[in-house]
Amino acid sequence: MKRHIRNACICAGLLGVVASAAIIHGTQIARAAEEKNASASITIDNFSFTPKEITVAAGTIVTWVNHDDVPHTVVNPDKKFRSKGLDTDDQFSFTFMDAGTYNYFCSVHPMMTGKITVK
Amino acid sequence: MKGFWGTPAGFGADLNVTVQLIMGLALIAGAFLARAKRYAAHGACMTAVLLLNLVPIAVVMLPSFAQLVLPRLASHLHKRYYAVAAVHGVLGSAAELLGLYVLLVAGTNLLPEAWRFKRWKLWMRLELALWMAVLLSGIGTYIVWYTPLLRR
Repeated sequence: MKRHIRNACICAGLLGVVASAAIIHGTQIARAAEEKNASASITIDNFSFTPKEITVAAGTIVTWVNHDDVPHTVVNPDKKFRSKGLDTDDQFSFTFMDAGTYNYFCSVHPMMTGKITVK
Repeated sequence: MKGFWGTPAGFGADLNVTVQLIMGLALIAGAFLARAKRYAAHGACMTAVLLLNLVPIAVVMLPSFAQLVLPRLASHLHKRYYAVAAVHGVLGSAAELLGLYVLLVAGTNLLPEAWRFKRWKLWMRLELALWMAVLLSGIGTYIVWYTPLLRR
């Protein structure tokens, strides 16, 4: 009888360990997926970036979409990212992995500026 | 660096359009020098404009054209952004090349006799007219590229 109780305890313990591991692993996968899917969008319209300034979490993919009828670029002065010329409805995406402040501008129209803060 | 005409254009574009307007005025002044028979001054004025114009072509216009127009020119020629730049590029190339040819004929003995034109006034007036067309198409390019309010 004692042996049965002991075996049952061992089995329950093992199940507990396996279940905990599965839960932790699942949480990590979900978090990773959440981080992977984090995204933000910036519209280029009427010679301006909208929103002009945004704050995002590390790992966020930021996408710029040009809705103007003239090409624009997205250029970071510190050379972290630089798009090619974006024609109407063209997009440019960049994943911000490191915390910090990232200024950017349009190299064709330098009055167009924006800022991304990554936390 | 931001420009100084109050448009979204950069400093290079604003400086370029300003220099082009001054050069256009200098060419008109040069034409009047020829009418006044001050040919040495006329030659110096036209030559200076023609050669100085190679700088903004190399530093501002060609890089812009190569980066922003040329990659999509074939498929986007129906859009005014590309069309006006293409027209300006073709006219500008013709004007600069014709100007260099006129300079070689009028100012040097480098070209063989068969390649030298005789009707000076015709070719020089053609060059001046072409240059003015380039200037107008350049202003048009500036408006289309950099002035959203004027285009509405």
